Amino acid sequence: MILFLQSLLSGVLMGGVYALVGIGLTLVFGVMRIVNFAHGELVMLGMYLAWFLFTRLGWDPYLSLVVVAPALFLWGALLQAAVVGRALHALPENQMLLTIGLGLAMSNAAMLAFTADYRILTTSYSSSGLQVLGLSVSEPMLAAFLVAVGVTAGLYLFLLRTDTGRAIRATAQDREAAQLMGIDVRRMSLVAFGLGAALAGTAGALVSPTYYIYPQVGGAFTLKAFVIVVLGGMGSVVGATLGGLLVGVTESLAAVYVASDLKELVVYSLFLLVLVARPSGLLGKARA
Amino acid sequence: MLAPPPLPASASAPRAGARAAGTWLAAAAVALLALFPVLVARPYPLHMGVVLFLAVLEAAAWNLVGGIAGQYSVGHAVYFGAGAYAAVMLLERLGIAPWWGIWAAALCAVLLGLVVGTITLRLRGPYFVLASIAAAEVARLAVLHFRAFTHGAQGFVVAEPPVLRLPGLSLTFDGKRPFYYLTLALAVLAVAVNRAVLRSRLGYQLLAVREDQDAAHSLGIRLSLVKNQALAISAALTGVAGAVFAGYSRFIDPDTVFSLTDVSVPMVLYCLAGGAGTVEGPVVGALLLVPVSEALRNPRGLVSLGLLPAGSGVVGFVERHLSQAHQLVYGLLLVLIVLFAPEGVAGLLRRLLRRSRARPRPAPPPA
Repeated sequence: MILFLQSLLSGVLMGGVYALVGIGLTLVFGVMRIVNFAHGELVMLGMYLAWFLFTRLGWDPYLSLVVVAPALFLWGALLQAAVVGRALHALPENQMLLTIGLGLAMSNAAMLAFTADYRILTTSYSSSGLQVLGLSVSEPMLAAFLVAVGVTAGLYLFLLRTDTGRAIRATAQDREAAQLMGIDVRRMSLVAFGLGAALAGTAGALVSPTYYIYPQVGGAFTLKAFVIVVLGGMGSVVGATLGGLLVGVTESLAAVYVASDLKELVVYSLFLLVLVARPSGLLGKARA
Repeated sequence: MLAPPPLPASASAPRAGARAAGTWLAAAAVALLALFPVLVARPYPLHMGVVLFLAVLEAAAWNLVGGIAGQYSVGHAVYFGAGAYAAVMLLERLGIAPWWGIWAAALCAVLLGLVVGTITLRLRGPYFVLASIAAAEVARLAVLHFRAFTHGAQGFVVAEPPVLRLPGLSLTFDGKRPFYYLTLALAVLAVAVNRAVLRSRLGYQLLAVREDQDAAHSLGIRLSLVKNQALAISAALTGVAGAVFAGYSRFIDPDTVFSLTDVSVPMVLYCLAGGAGTVEGPVVGALLLVPVSEALRNPRGLVSLGLLPAGSGVVGFVERHLSQAHQLVYGLLLVLIVLFAPEGVAGLLRRLLRRSRARPRPAPPPA
């Protein structure tokens, strides 16, 4: 029982970070109907940026968020303006190939800049833990979870309460109608892609104290982000939040009860199963 | 793709003539390539040939599903890896020679294709792409996990295949020349299969599926049947490619043969760069991209050809920085192709050719 609760807890903690990655992806999909296969590479960039700031300037990875998030926002907006936005009317398959190309370019550029070596960001608290009700909680994972929850709450407020947030949601619902209502949909696309990238980068910085950092680390994040988004229904921010938690918990339980190197296999198999049984996602509405 | 190639049905007399000329040209090129090892014995050019022909084989295999049927599988590594593991494990565990193992590799890939296809081919658009990637990842993780059976991450070092004895002839598969001829023959076969499929009933059905699945369905085309047929042929060819790759490189592990970035994506890329859905596309794409990638991966090959001076800074720079990141070029090319030449280079050329041909045209003689 204690083992179950323990793995459930660490699954939820990891799920909070996954949710952040998934929300970023679903936001981009919702607003632009583009499936961003380079999303994991944005997580990777966030990890390297946090690692770089830590090793060169001695910044704590959580502190470095104030640089990582804006930097990734700008990078995302730039990618949208220079590359992805140009393919808005291309065939979906071509858009996917475009973002696969972007992802390859980013991971290989990281390899060029930082080599293929595995990097570790070891903080004073990287391996320390707390005891709560007989369960041990990894401190950096708890901190990452709390920050992720804070960022998610902030994002919900932004999307629900601010004019820009409403405009983004309107664009996601119906691009043409939003345009007719005077919304600058191109600007909203920039903001959405920037936000998506910032969320991915934030997640990367959050997990940097507990993860190996290497150029290809993004691939696993991309695929997991898709699983999360498909489980929650594509384009749904609430769905992505729940999907993130679900994937985190599934992985954690699979690691304990199946085999630790099969946790991802279990997640992907679940994903295939859901795709076959309910293509609109576990939580999504039926597709038209 | 944005601009589908013209349907072969619309062939008029002059186009049929052009096609016959193309066939002769292709036959001449193959004959020259077959003579090449007789004239050149240095290993590097032969190695380039093997890599190039394998790329053509893979791209042509992908073209059946991705180009002709329009189902963008980004998980074809699952068939490549299955073929590689089937052939190698039959050799290692049961001592079955690769001449038979290669058939088993094709069979394994087809069976796997039926399973994966039944699950994924019902999905459309991004869902299909994601499912194909997930299927390949499941295979990679499973092979990594079941160590007792597959050696896990350790992989297999492949023993030298035994001598093939046919009546009146014995073939040893050491050195590059046998692989050069084997891969050349397989590449020609794969391109011929593409051509045959495009001219068959199945080909027309697949083109209809690519253009509009619902319309094709309403015309009585059984979607999952024809898509699975295309996938079965494609998987067989890809599995054979995997088996030959294993024999040539003499080492396989899950991260190499089930790789998304080293196997699944390049196949798609060759095909798109050349022109998806056309017979010549996979060949053109592989010709364009393989030399670039090989030169970056191993610049000393260019030195051995005398194209680069041995001690030059270029070699050192490429080896130090680019050889690990040789896919940077692939990534950037993929972006450029989608933005500026969405119908591939062959399509681009054809468009230019048509434009130049369209101008002066004599009036047809009265019938």
